[in-house]
Amino acid sequence: DDLETAPIVELSLEELLASDPNAVEGLVSRLYASFALTGPSGPASSDIVSPDAGEGAFLRAIINLQDFTADGMKNRWGDDGLDQLTTTSNWDRNNKFFRLFYDRAYFTIPQCNNFLQVLQTADFPDEENIVAETRFLRALAYYNIIDVFGKGVLATDENFGQSELLPESSRQELFDYVESELLAIEPVIRTTSNYGRANRYVVDMLLTKLYLNAEVYTGTPRWDDAAIYVNKVINEGGYSLDDNFIRLFSADNDASPEIIFPLIAESLTSQSFGNTTYLVNGNLSADTMPLSQFGAAQGWTGHRATEAWYGLFGNSAAELEASNDMRASLFWTDGHNYTMTDYRTWTDGFPSIKFRNTFSDGSGNPVDFSATDFPFYRLADAYLIYAELALRGAANTTMADALSYVNQVRTRSFADPIGMGELTLDLIIDERGRELNLEGHRRSDLIRFNMFTGGSYLWPWKGGSPNGTAISDDYKLFPIPVTAIQSNPNLTQNPGF
Amino acid sequence: TITDGSNSMPLPGVNVIIKGTTTGTSSDFDGKYSIEVNNGDVLVFSYVGFVNQEIVYNGQSTIDVVMQEDAAQLDEIVLIGYGSVKKEDATGSVDVVSTKDFNRGSIVSTDQLLNGKAAGVRITNNGGSPDSAPNIRIRGGSSLNAQNNPLIVIDGVPIGNDNPAGVSNPLTLVNPNDVESFSILKDASATAIYGSRASNGVIIITTKKGTSSGVKFNYSTDYTISSAGDGLDVMNGEEYTRFIQQFHPGRAGQLGVPTGSVNANQPVSQTLNGRDIYNTDWRDAILRTANSFNHNFSARANLFDKIPFRASVGLSRAEGIVINDNYERVTLSAKLTPTLLNDNLKIDFNAKTIFAFKNAIDAGGAIGEALSFDPTKPVYDFSSNNRFGGYYLTTFDDVADPTNFPNQGFRRIIQANPLARLEQRERPENVRRFLGNIEFDYTMPFLPELNAVVNFGLDASDANILERFANNAFETYRFDATNNDLNSIDTNFLFNPGVNFEENQRITNTTFDAYLQYKKIFDSGFINNFDVQTGYSYQNFKNDGYQRRSQYNLNTGVREPFFNLANPNNRYLNVLNLQSYFVRGNLSLGDRYLLTASFRADGSSLFTEDNRWGYFPAAALAWQIHEESFLKDSEFVNDLKLRVSWGETGQQDITGSVGFYPSIPLFLAGDANSQYLPNSSLYSAQPFNPDLTWEKTTTYNLGLDFSFFSNRLVTGTFDIYKRNTTDLLATTPVPPGQALTNAFIDNVGETESEGFELNLNVNPITTDNFNLSVNTNLSYNKTEVTNLNGLTEINAGGSLRGTGSDLFRHAVGQQAGSAYVFRQVYDSAGNPIPNAFVDLNGDNIIDDNDRYYKQIAPNWTFGFGINFNYKNWDFSSGFRGQVGGNVYNLAQLNLGFTESAVLSSQNNLTNVLNFFDGSANPVISDVNGNIQFSDFYLEDASFLRCDNIALGYRFDNLIKNGSVRVYGAVQNPFIITDYSGQDPENFGGIDGNFYPRPTAYTLGLNFDF
Repeated sequence: DDLETAPIVELSLEELLASDPNAVEGLVSRLYASFALTGPSGPASSDIVSPDAGEGAFLRAIINLQDFTADGMKNRWGDDGLDQLTTTSNWDRNNKFFRLFYDRAYFTIPQCNNFLQVLQTADFPDEENIVAETRFLRALAYYNIIDVFGKGVLATDENFGQSELLPESSRQELFDYVESELLAIEPVIRTTSNYGRANRYVVDMLLTKLYLNAEVYTGTPRWDDAAIYVNKVINEGGYSLDDNFIRLFSADNDASPEIIFPLIAESLTSQSFGNTTYLVNGNLSADTMPLSQFGAAQGWTGHRATEAWYGLFGNSAAELEASNDMRASLFWTDGHNYTMTDYRTWTDGFPSIKFRNTFSDGSGNPVDFSATDFPFYRLADAYLIYAELALRGAANTTMADALSYVNQVRTRSFADPIGMGELTLDLIIDERGRELNLEGHRRSDLIRFNMFTGGSYLWPWKGGSPNGTAISDDYKLFPIPVTAIQSNPNLTQNPGF
Repeated sequence: TITDGSNSMPLPGVNVIIKGTTTGTSSDFDGKYSIEVNNGDVLVFSYVGFVNQEIVYNGQSTIDVVMQEDAAQLDEIVLIGYGSVKKEDATGSVDVVSTKDFNRGSIVSTDQLLNGKAAGVRITNNGGSPDSAPNIRIRGGSSLNAQNNPLIVIDGVPIGNDNPAGVSNPLTLVNPNDVESFSILKDASATAIYGSRASNGVIIITTKKGTSSGVKFNYSTDYTISSAGDGLDVMNGEEYTRFIQQFHPGRAGQLGVPTGSVNANQPVSQTLNGRDIYNTDWRDAILRTANSFNHNFSARANLFDKIPFRASVGLSRAEGIVINDNYERVTLSAKLTPTLLNDNLKIDFNAKTIFAFKNAIDAGGAIGEALSFDPTKPVYDFSSNNRFGGYYLTTFDDVADPTNFPNQGFRRIIQANPLARLEQRERPENVRRFLGNIEFDYTMPFLPELNAVVNFGLDASDANILERFANNAFETYRFDATNNDLNSIDTNFLFNPGVNFEENQRITNTTFDAYLQYKKIFDSGFINNFDVQTGYSYQNFKNDGYQRRSQYNLNTGVREPFFNLANPNNRYLNVLNLQSYFVRGNLSLGDRYLLTASFRADGSSLFTEDNRWGYFPAAALAWQIHEESFLKDSEFVNDLKLRVSWGETGQQDITGSVGFYPSIPLFLAGDANSQYLPNSSLYSAQPFNPDLTWEKTTTYNLGLDFSFFSNRLVTGTFDIYKRNTTDLLATTPVPPGQALTNAFIDNVGETESEGFELNLNVNPITTDNFNLSVNTNLSYNKTEVTNLNGLTEINAGGSLRGTGSDLFRHAVGQQAGSAYVFRQVYDSAGNPIPNAFVDLNGDNIIDDNDRYYKQIAPNWTFGFGINFNYKNWDFSSGFRGQVGGNVYNLAQLNLGFTESAVLSSQNNLTNVLNFFDGSANPVISDVNGNIQFSDFYLEDASFLRCDNIALGYRFDNLIKNGSVRVYGAVQNPFIITDYSGQDPENFGGIDGNFYPRPTAYTLGLNFDF
């Protein structure tokens, strides 16, 4: 019957499995790619319907929501809603950036559910491990829903395909689900994996993050549990700090021993406007910087750090230059003002040159898309978490180890080691800023330290004011996008929106 | 000679019969005839659509007859799909636009014949290029994400919605000279028989037929010269110098070029601080006075006295007013309409072959660059160190820290030369197309009331696109890291001339229709006649092609194939299949009541088996009031018919938003640049919706056809309609986590339209020597979204400035795709205050809740024409316009703020609108924030455009046995509008780098012999 037309470029599941013996690998690749690429048909394609393909990427959304809303990074474009993020003001449920993150997470989740159903259709090589990886990726997407929106629906492979609207699940319910999923796969998933894929320590790292922030998510601290898993990462994972801090953010960082879980980028074969290309090109501008020095052919004249970040190293461009901390050198100061009088003025604030597309020796050709992988989890983060847990009195931690780990992180970048007397929670949050800013952690960290909302800690443009002003506690969560509530009326809005 | 009273043209094919006998003849192509008669014989002259004339012969050597069109008996044949009716018997809302109504002048594409001629038909082309796409809307569009174009049927072959690759306008693939008439089906009872693709109306194009006697030739030729009118008011070199000195004095050192650094063929207009300032009109540099011509030759004959035959050959060469925008076309057509087997078998055979050759330019890119390129820079630079083939480009040497990174530096192009963009690339897009059908209509000899019709149609095209670059084309300029001499900016680059892209495509659309028709005429009784048709229709659309794509090697900069393992040829194959069963009955009662009912079942391959079939009924009633006894003898009312109809039609074409397989689960292999894990392919599960089914449109129509006063002084039609679309196919957000994406197409929502249309023709003067007629049409349409399944609005695109900034929304209670804007606040002097907006909801916060909707498409459209003939002179004119509607002046946004001049780069200046003469307002210094969503940029798009004016003269005796007509025409001589941008007639509603519509002067010759 001619009414039964059949495609030849797109394939049914049966055709796919018959045509490629490694089809399962390709399906797994797709799930990982969901965190870095925007779509399957080039950088202009998009898995989710969004006004601009690049804005629909997971990593770009994390940077927008975790770093631009926090103290250390600002963006100047505006882009129909980005201003509100960068100034933590006038958040509303229509802002497309909240929707894009929400929709991307709820793209990844059903893709995982669909794949888990596919895996049930037959026996595949390495199936147990692949199932565990898939459940990890789904848990990672849910973790971000918990962290950013605080609630959502619980879509699983069991209810996948059901047309009845799912009920709303609370933050506690999602927390319990993610915890149980991770605990179930942790003993199953392999301890080693090919590059870019999750292994047991990646799972441990996510468990660590979940327990570390448990007080924020559920009201009940879980410091001891966090310590169990961060210890596994540190002691069993086999990772070591990279001697060269620059390499962690350079095109050859796939060889770094420090990275626990990367999001892959390649200049030709893995192109996206929402992977590290957003970090490299976004922080560059031909107006004030030589792009070729950073291996980029484009500068988007977008992001700059603020003194809330580089002020941790010094109070002027000269002081940054004089600092022996290598991390202080990763700001472009020529032609830029230390103070961000107007976040929309490119020359106000120093662009971060932490991420670049050259190799760690400085070589590399200027290209349009970045080849630098994103260090989603790395050992220095685990070290600083350990120290924080020790300071918070978690079982199975010692202050001596904590001091050692903090100093290993500092001295790797040629910063002066600190003494035990200086090891405080205040130091930890600052050290996390110095070490980890622009890596997608900052907003969560500030909330855990109770510094994000209110007026006790101010940063440039907080609350829409050049010097910062207090913001409501409601800003600890983002509004649920109006499209989600309209398409599933079981969902309710977060307070204040 | 027999002539047509309306235009004094000879009328061929008029039957001349001696009354009371079967002796007769018909007029030839020049309207001439001869017949042997006796004194006292009465000659009856008859012709379809004209009043019969009887003339008594009493010795005249010649009898010249002027035939007058008969409005009351306007036996105009209307094609209504699977058959035809006389216009007077039509029950639906149908417009006919035929040769005499067509727009005149240089016509390259068939839609231009029709523009402005029919009420409720809005045709907006995308600009002034010869192949620019027409956007045709009949009574507005009722769909959101499904197809809104009408169905176009050419000689029985429905045209697919997929254009051949490289063809922007599918209607350029029919020679306008071959077209005889358009039938435009508007209401559901008229369109329902076309079912599945007819929700947005149907345009049936019929080509010219052969004659029943004699061999006749026609040759016509025209030559057209066209040029752009005034464009946007950007600054010239002197104004711009003044502007930079005044507004950006710190950047004045970037005006012009260092003295003596370039070797241009232009004079230096001034020297300023060691820099040569040129005065370049970049728009002028890329535009030209374009020359175009058409040649058409056709022959009509009656082969073997049995087979009416027409063949034509056409040759067109059209130049766009942007340099290198060239279009050439050769058309061949043949039509045979024999009648065989004692007139029981009628065959209609059509074959058209078209060869189109186009050079596709990047017009948008070049026009945008021409608007913004710094006018103090020269066009050319012939100096020896120019690497870009003699074109001046603004470049900047990006040199890294030479101590630490000695081998890194590259010459960045900051601003590309628009002329180089046009001249350094060629992109031939060649199409061969065959469009043909053969229809057999066989009347059963044993049962003359029954006939069977079978029609086979084929629309096949073969398209080839090639993109080639010249030597030193800046677009192929790449960094070569393997070059040994990396320190030299001048050598570590290379160009990649030659082929960059290739696409081959084959479209094969097949149609098969078969139906039986039973017709019964009763000589007496209340029932006059009835007929019933029942049949089956099959349409298959197949689009198969592949592309050769390229990418540049990261290290060497050399172009290499873009190789995708999973799909090495970048092949695509799209198949759409539609099948239908239909039945229709017509009944005529008491000489004045006409009833039509139809029912159609349609299946589409886009839907799963369970949801595949849609069922679409329609019915109509017409009352010929003038046949009632109280009007039958009225002098005032010649014709009065009331029509009432109701019907449902379906829509399934969502291929533009979700492709050809939206209902089944599929996996798509990632492109070569969308891979992820090393040593692995990438397969993506595609979203789908198994529940998709037909979108349904219900139309109610009330119409009146009328003709008043003697000599059809006033004739016209009036239709009022209401249309409701349900199960609207729209891309809407899905419940989070419950589908494979965040938004997908679904049957949600409703739209509602209402409106009316008036066609009015007034013929105040009708004499043998002088005719004057005025044709007008007016239509009102209001379409709004009434339900989005619980959603209040969905994004509808319309990208402005910056990333992902969309202007349009579909919102409940608004016209689909309305602009969602803030209300601008102005100071007492009338200047806009940047980023100050009215707090519409009064909550003291300016946020998205203060935005409101403004519609883009107009509610009112109109057209009118004045035509007259005086002896051998003929004059025609066409005007059209719209009242209301809005257009967003994107050029005003992008070029209308003072910072715009210095924004592209620290090392470059760009041109802006003229801030000195009011074209732009210097109070707007930047466009940060929400200012782009201000209604300041949204302007009223009302306009009145003079489409064409033509004047012709016919020489009867210049050549033997023939006539010659000479005419001159001007197209688009003027437009009246308040809009301040380039052109208010803009389908998409955002006026950016618009290709100007030229004013064209045509001189034409037409030979009949």
